[in-house]
Amino acid sequence: MGSSNKKKKEKKKDFQKAKLKVGKVKAKAANFTDTSFKAKSIVVNQQTLATDGQDPVEQFKQNLTLAVNAKSDNQRRDALAYVTNQLSAHPPNNPVGTLGVLTKLLPLMSDSSASVRLQLLKLFRALPPTEVAPCVERVLMYVRGGMTHLSTDIRGDTLSIMEWLLDVAGDETVACPGGWLKTLNSFSSMLGWNPNVGAGISNQGWTSASKATLGTKRGPEAQARQIQVLTKFLQTGFRTEAPIPYHPTTYWNNLYRLPSTPSPFAHLNLFGIPRDEDSEIYPDRIARQRVFDTKWRAAITSGMESAKKEGGTVGRAAAALDRTLCVGLQ
Amino acid sequence: MVKRKVAALEKIEADLVNLQYKIRRDPRSYAQEFHDQWLAYDAQRQIFISSPATVSSEDAKKFHDLVDLVAHVADLYPELTAPYPDHLKELLNQHHATLDKELREKIVGSLVLLRRKDVIDSTSLLTTLFPILISTSSKTLRSLLYTKIISDLRESNSKTTNHRLNRTIQTVLHNLVTSDRTSTKGMWATRITRELWRRQIWTDARPCDVMKEACLSDNEKVVVGGVRFFLGGDKEREELEDESSDEDIDIKKVKHQGVINKKTKKRQKAYEKAVDKIKRNERKKHAPHPLNFSALHLIHDPQGFAEQLFQKHLQNNKNKFTLENKLLILQLVTRLVGLHKLTIISLYSWFVRYLTPKQLNVTSFLASLAQATHNLVPPDVLEPLVVKIANEFVSEASAAEVASAGINAIREVALRQPLCMTETLLQDLVMYQKSKDKGVVMAAKGLQSLYREVYPELLQKKFRGKQATMGLRTGEVKQRQFGEEEQGGIEGIELLEKYKEEQKRRKREEALENGDAEKKDDDSEDDGFNSDDWEVGSTDSESSGGWIDVSSDEDDEPAKKKRRKQGDADDEAPELVDTSAHPEASAEADLISKLATTSILTPADLAKLEELRREAKVEKALGRTSKRKKELIDKHIEDGVTADDIELPAQLGKKTTKEERVALAREGKPGREEHKSTQAIRRAKKDAEGKSTTNKEKARKKNFMMTIGKARAKNKRSLVETSKSMRAHIARSKSGGRRRNGS
Repeated sequence: MGSSNKKKKEKKKDFQKAKLKVGKVKAKAANFTDTSFKAKSIVVNQQTLATDGQDPVEQFKQNLTLAVNAKSDNQRRDALAYVTNQLSAHPPNNPVGTLGVLTKLLPLMSDSSASVRLQLLKLFRALPPTEVAPCVERVLMYVRGGMTHLSTDIRGDTLSIMEWLLDVAGDETVACPGGWLKTLNSFSSMLGWNPNVGAGISNQGWTSASKATLGTKRGPEAQARQIQVLTKFLQTGFRTEAPIPYHPTTYWNNLYRLPSTPSPFAHLNLFGIPRDEDSEIYPDRIARQRVFDTKWRAAITSGMESAKKEGGTVGRAAAALDRTLCVGLQ
Repeated sequence: MVKRKVAALEKIEADLVNLQYKIRRDPRSYAQEFHDQWLAYDAQRQIFISSPATVSSEDAKKFHDLVDLVAHVADLYPELTAPYPDHLKELLNQHHATLDKELREKIVGSLVLLRRKDVIDSTSLLTTLFPILISTSSKTLRSLLYTKIISDLRESNSKTTNHRLNRTIQTVLHNLVTSDRTSTKGMWATRITRELWRRQIWTDARPCDVMKEACLSDNEKVVVGGVRFFLGGDKEREELEDESSDEDIDIKKVKHQGVINKKTKKRQKAYEKAVDKIKRNERKKHAPHPLNFSALHLIHDPQGFAEQLFQKHLQNNKNKFTLENKLLILQLVTRLVGLHKLTIISLYSWFVRYLTPKQLNVTSFLASLAQATHNLVPPDVLEPLVVKIANEFVSEASAAEVASAGINAIREVALRQPLCMTETLLQDLVMYQKSKDKGVVMAAKGLQSLYREVYPELLQKKFRGKQATMGLRTGEVKQRQFGEEEQGGIEGIELLEKYKEEQKRRKREEALENGDAEKKDDDSEDDGFNSDDWEVGSTDSESSGGWIDVSSDEDDEPAKKKRRKQGDADDEAPELVDTSAHPEASAEADLISKLATTSILTPADLAKLEELRREAKVEKALGRTSKRKKELIDKHIEDGVTADDIELPAQLGKKTTKEERVALAREGKPGREEHKSTQAIRRAKKDAEGKSTTNKEKARKKNFMMTIGKARAKNKRSLVETSKSMRAHIARSKSGGRRRNGS
């Protein structure tokens, strides 16, 4: 029959010996490899694995790059761990400076792998606090981006970084451009306490936990943690500043000495784009209190009240927040 | 930098595309989510703005996605996203040079999307994109912006013409061209204008004005862009129109596919679309034809424009344009001169320098000269040029092509201004019909036949031909003075008059028929008689044209002397008719003026007039008029003279080479690389077209083993069975096969 005949022939073909013909070139084998080409250079596909004998500076930089670019999560985490080790050594080995490390690693805040994010937090904790203070504005941008990220895990981890930032450079955080109002904005959006958004839907239902969608699971723990960090943020913002002790040379230092802080005239905003209300600097406690009072007090209070009614961890966190507000707004 | 792939798990959780889909389905419920993303977008934007040049690819990617999300749902949250278009514009304006390529494209795309969703208006979009188009150095961005600008202009003009937007953009383009005449930026103005002209989106005088300014620019590229527009823009427009009308759908095929294929929504939609398109095409066919003037006609102050163009680019010795471009400009100037009958006296003396056979592209110069000639050019200006051409080109010593080109150029000039010729020169040139080269002979004969019609006195008596001699004797052929114009009228109005008369008569007869039905037979006989009467008159006037044809044809072929005699005998009668018909014609002319002056021509009348004119043209083209007239009919007045026209007679005598002949014979035949049967070639062609085999072929190729059972059974049939089946076969084939195709 037609098809079976065909199959038989095909099967036979495999075992047939190729006929040699006079004057014809012998047929090439199926596994023949053409080696007639000539290459001028050889490219090695794999990189060398030997790491010993490398310059420590180079190695640090390589690891820093790996931490950002490596494809596998583990490799990124390991590279971060290496950098952390170097930073926490005595004396710390940091050839690129804190600013260099931060600018390179900040995008990792919204990395997809949880272990990388955890390691990143460890790394940040190993950074010297005094050197973080000047680049708070930049860090805060990424923190705000992470706080409203789609993924809940990233939001949670970003909160930890926020806590670290408040610990390390609390005053700078609340006083940098956009540091006060924009961050409050992100917090309220995160908690679902923004009265301008989704009016009419947030009051339905019996729980004040924000309406989680998109397959995320937000338990009361997450909300409690958010309220805790918000409390901490407000505490830092409403902290009474210790009066600067009188020093006889202060006046003259201001006039004739070079300023010790970076960009001392940032509040004048001489070269940047004009700022709106949200991204303005609120340098002292009174200014922060005033703007909080006008813009966020009502919204946060109402959100807090409903959170208090829930009880449990959320209620406790809300109570702490209430206390902070009472103290802070006096 | 290498981008990391997003893990699958993460995708499920943090998928902006999914969020976008949900937001669009239920914007109210997802307001909170959108607000979150809006804040994320804002943060990302700040990160981006703080250091746009050194932003990491991660950040760029994130920003890209967020921009995309916000753009797609911006129309749902207008209050929150109010500053969004301004953000994008600012980003694009300030950082378009340093932005990541993909992000840049996304921002442009988002702006266009916002326009489509009516968040921003066309003017603001175009005024954002246009400055970047001009200033950017990136080729990809330029092409992207160009397509976006064109498509937006098309879209906003698709339903009704958006005059305000068009005016704004045209003003911007005009300013672009006029503000800095030395820069190449004007190129974009010419490109955009030309494209929109081609698509018939801009059809008025303003784009022509932009192009006019472009022609007067100092930059060579811009000038050439403008000039090419005037020379070819209208043709392009016509071609595009033809193309678009060509593509038609086979509705039967679509319907059939709907029957045999699985019924899906997609197919249903495709069918509906096809029906819709066909309906639209129908409607378009019946719609009145849009009256589009050519760009050359829409120019404001053509005299000033042509003069400026000539002085600036041609007469100016410091001008360093290439010859090719200069020729283009010359073509435009002469075209304008010919079309609008302008007077630029210095143009003709400028030509003298270039009229030598050694000049590069001299045929183009000759063609331009012919183009620049019209009946209001003083003959004494043209005469030296004609003499120069004759001296330089036409001599026994010069090559045949050169001589034929020269004579032909002189003929083209003389066609437009017959007074430019002196008697001795013409007689000298006409004598070239005794040359050995066919091209030269034809050119000289062309010149002779031209002068037989327009100015026979200049020819020697023996070359005048019969008709011209007769005409001179009767005083019919009159030599026109310089500046004399023919009495004007509406072309073809006499045809309309005739048609109307006929209609009226028919109506009257119908009324009569209805009135007395019993007399029907007599009346109908009368009708035939009457109409015959009328047609005799009408054919008379036409026969004069026919007569010219016969005689001129025969003069060209002196070999056919025998037939000519016979023809002469026949010609006697028409000539008499012709002279008698002459007063009739004058009476007709009176009538014409009456119709045009006593009644207002309705659009229907005009349409009918156009139709009648076309009919008359076809009739003439069928071969009842002289060659020269036919040529003039074929050639639209607006088509200029080209170098090909000048070179044409030189081609006549040439023999084709063998390769050319072989190529000509091969044309349209299937390729035959290897030796193959015709059947096999046909089969391969069908295979390539994706067509199946015929039933016959299938039957032939069917496996033998499959048919053998039936064949054996057939052999074993009894006689009765065989005859029964054969009868059934005959009956079946009579009724159209098993499928009953016939019924």
